[in-house]
Amino acid sequence: MGVLVALNVVVPWIVALIIFLSKKDVVTNVLTFLMLPILIFTAYLAYIQPHPVLVETPKWLDLLITLYDFGLLGYFLYQGIVRKSGLIAILATIQILFLIIVLIMMPHSQTPNIYVDSVTLMFYLIVAIVGVPIAIFATKYMDYGEKGKHSFVAIVVWFLGVMNLAVSVNNIEWFFALFETTTLASYIMIGFRGDKEAINNSNLALWMNQIGGIAILIALMIFIKVNGVYHFSDLLKHPTIISMAALGFLSLSALVKGAQMPFHKWLLGAMVAPTPVSAILHSATMVKIAPYLILRISPIIKGTLLAKLLIIATGYVFVVAAVIALTQNNFKKILAYSTISLLGLMMLAAAVGTPIAVSASLILIIFHAFAKGFLFVEAGVLEKVFHTKYIEQMRRLIEKAPLTLMFIFFGFLNMTFVPFGTFIGKWMMIEEVSNFLQHGSYILLILYVGAGSAFLSILYMKVLGVSVRKAHGIEKISFVKLPKRFNFVSVWYYVWLLAITIFIAPFIADFIVPIAKSIAGEPEIYATGLTLHMYNSTLYFWQIFGALILLLLIHVLPYFVKFKADIVHPYNCGENFPRHMETWNFECLAKYEGYFVAFSIALFIMVVVLGGGLL
Amino acid sequence: MINVILTILAPFFGGIVYGIERVVKARMQRRVGPPLMQPFYDFFKLMDKRPIMIHSLHALMGIMYFIAEWFALGVLLLGNDLLIAVFFHVIAVLSLVVGASSVRSPYSVLGALRELMHMISYEPLMVLMVVALYLVVGSFDIKDILSYDGYPILKLPFVFIAFLLTIPMMLQKSPFDVAEAHQEIIGGPEIEYSGPFYEALYTGKWIEYIYVFTFVFLFGGSHYWLGALLVIFAFLFVNLLDNSTARLDFRRMVKFAWGFLIPMAAFNVILLALFE
Repeated sequence: MGVLVALNVVVPWIVALIIFLSKKDVVTNVLTFLMLPILIFTAYLAYIQPHPVLVETPKWLDLLITLYDFGLLGYFLYQGIVRKSGLIAILATIQILFLIIVLIMMPHSQTPNIYVDSVTLMFYLIVAIVGVPIAIFATKYMDYGEKGKHSFVAIVVWFLGVMNLAVSVNNIEWFFALFETTTLASYIMIGFRGDKEAINNSNLALWMNQIGGIAILIALMIFIKVNGVYHFSDLLKHPTIISMAALGFLSLSALVKGAQMPFHKWLLGAMVAPTPVSAILHSATMVKIAPYLILRISPIIKGTLLAKLLIIATGYVFVVAAVIALTQNNFKKILAYSTISLLGLMMLAAAVGTPIAVSASLILIIFHAFAKGFLFVEAGVLEKVFHTKYIEQMRRLIEKAPLTLMFIFFGFLNMTFVPFGTFIGKWMMIEEVSNFLQHGSYILLILYVGAGSAFLSILYMKVLGVSVRKAHGIEKISFVKLPKRFNFVSVWYYVWLLAITIFIAPFIADFIVPIAKSIAGEPEIYATGLTLHMYNSTLYFWQIFGALILLLLIHVLPYFVKFKADIVHPYNCGENFPRHMETWNFECLAKYEGYFVAFSIALFIMVVVLGGGLL
Repeated sequence: MINVILTILAPFFGGIVYGIERVVKARMQRRVGPPLMQPFYDFFKLMDKRPIMIHSLHALMGIMYFIAEWFALGVLLLGNDLLIAVFFHVIAVLSLVVGASSVRSPYSVLGALRELMHMISYEPLMVLMVVALYLVVGSFDIKDILSYDGYPILKLPFVFIAFLLTIPMMLQKSPFDVAEAHQEIIGGPEIEYSGPFYEALYTGKWIEYIYVFTFVFLFGGSHYWLGALLVIFAFLFVNLLDNSTARLDFRRMVKFAWGFLIPMAAFNVILLALFE
């Protein structure tokens, strides 16, 4: 197993290094393509090994990571000084001090530093299947008048390896190192274009994520002081009560990484970077560390005040981010807000911590990775080939970019509608919470899930509505020839999503349930054929197929059906087409954004102070 | 068995309900009103008309609306999970909205966007109602609810009232018919449909009647007479409301739903959860 973990981590690094050094188109393209089968193969090999496994690491690696930590923080400090940002410099200094304290306090531990369980393996698979195609996409995307193609692709590939390592570490100090490495990667990628906006946004991402780093260090100090352990596996097995304050800080770092309000600005800022950056940050890596972290600690925090406050805070973000997304008009921004919103739901489900809720969280993680990767790839295609960034420009997209619109349509369907994974996650959550209602009140949670999903649905319908708008017949559909690599990546995601959705019942029963079982115990989910059962409820295969066929018809049929009927003009009655509609841009809500964020700060403080038991 | 018949003949029964509604409404206004079978006469007339459309996508979405609505009803009556049926209804809304916003007509687009406002008003409440029924009966299964011995309505009076006031939003009745608003935006999403394509939309609306009143029926539990009474009461009440009120602004509708109906239903659920 140790070799396989090393392979999963090191292969992307080696590939990244080769790409970075050779700077040749052929090398870059061939290697990224080769990465896809290789990483899927290694991830699969790791998946079929018996797990969970603790892997011993040599002593020098420990030392190396510590040295690397200091180097990294020193680099942040240096960047803070160079960019004249006091905040970054101060935060980096604090981290260096805290790290020294942690190293002095740290007792010797026999526990191995690598812990590979089924969640880790799931992330390997996600990184391989969802992450690598984004690198392939980037190789073509960067050909459209962008500078530094090779170093960019190298960073993206390197990032995949970092993510793989981040989800397999056991030692929280190592986790801190990798947490900060992902911060570094996002810092470099967001600032990649080097203009003023990119620099500002990368600074924002840096200091916000450093707060998460500080929170991990504080949590580490408390863990060592109170419980004397600093490994995830030790925490889970620990006989006495784990310090709530430390867990509170650990969840704080998850909230920061997961771009939950009020720390959502850094993820929005990421959109100034080339689109593959957004794709990689939103889908397979970076933000997914947040639900991963909560899943790791969910058995310990289940049922505590901390878990309840986390539920309240993340559920609030789930609804409010969806509401704010309605007021936006930049396509990438809309996608970013919906990521923030769904991350809230994932963390909420993970914090609830019952077997079914954990399964729901895992399903959401997987499907969100696929759908967001897909949507951002399409956003990149729109941006580069069709020069469309705002939803006002998306009018008549059905004529200009029929294929891309079809893919976007499918991606949106995946985010809310019936047979798709995101829906199943919500469905499970509502049913699970209804169970709790009988003993204790979780009514707020039901309102959160109901309202949030309604808001997200209307968001997607609104965007789709614009892109099909057309006065007369849609005859002149022009199938623009897209680059092969773009088509490959789009079709790759499309086919995966379609396949998983058709076989969703066996997929959940055979893939998700074992993972959930290893975290929280056996969930009452099983499949007979293609029918999914949960408690007494059943999602019949004819319902899955029916909804799938309906939705496939709705998003594919418009290109093929031509009714033989007379064509007339729309009835306007001399009215001008209204440019301004309140039901369209929700300006009535935009003015409350400040209040929403202010309230989220209050919730945030509550999570740490009350949940952590600091009072 | 009766479920299957009701599902297959849903457009027919829906048409009859619509016919009755027109008569009842007319009597409330001291008119004689059209004959009971008027919706079907309309049906045949519309089918006979020359098919006219703006473009194929638009016409297609009208037909998909009808199919999706029918399928949602099938899921409600033949499946066993109410929650899934609630979410299936969203597919119908999707095709209606995509269709209506695909034409460059101010009325149609405004109507589509208002349709979304309708959705955020009633969707969370439907979820809450299903959860409330679950709390009482202990199952999301429609068969279990219909064989429940108690009287769900007695435990869920506020949820029932909230749902009763939501029905006008779902069936486009005054005071909450903001998406259709005949005098203002001339039918909203339906305005650009004509001939057979309009017929698809029109029949879809009939099915929606059956869909909505099935939920009302569930409040009677295994006492079918009570369920039937509730349905008749809800039917008369909604029509009375439709006849006696003026249309509200869409903001007022959303505020009413979020400020009054949802808290009321939630209050009922909390009380129930505390005392069970």
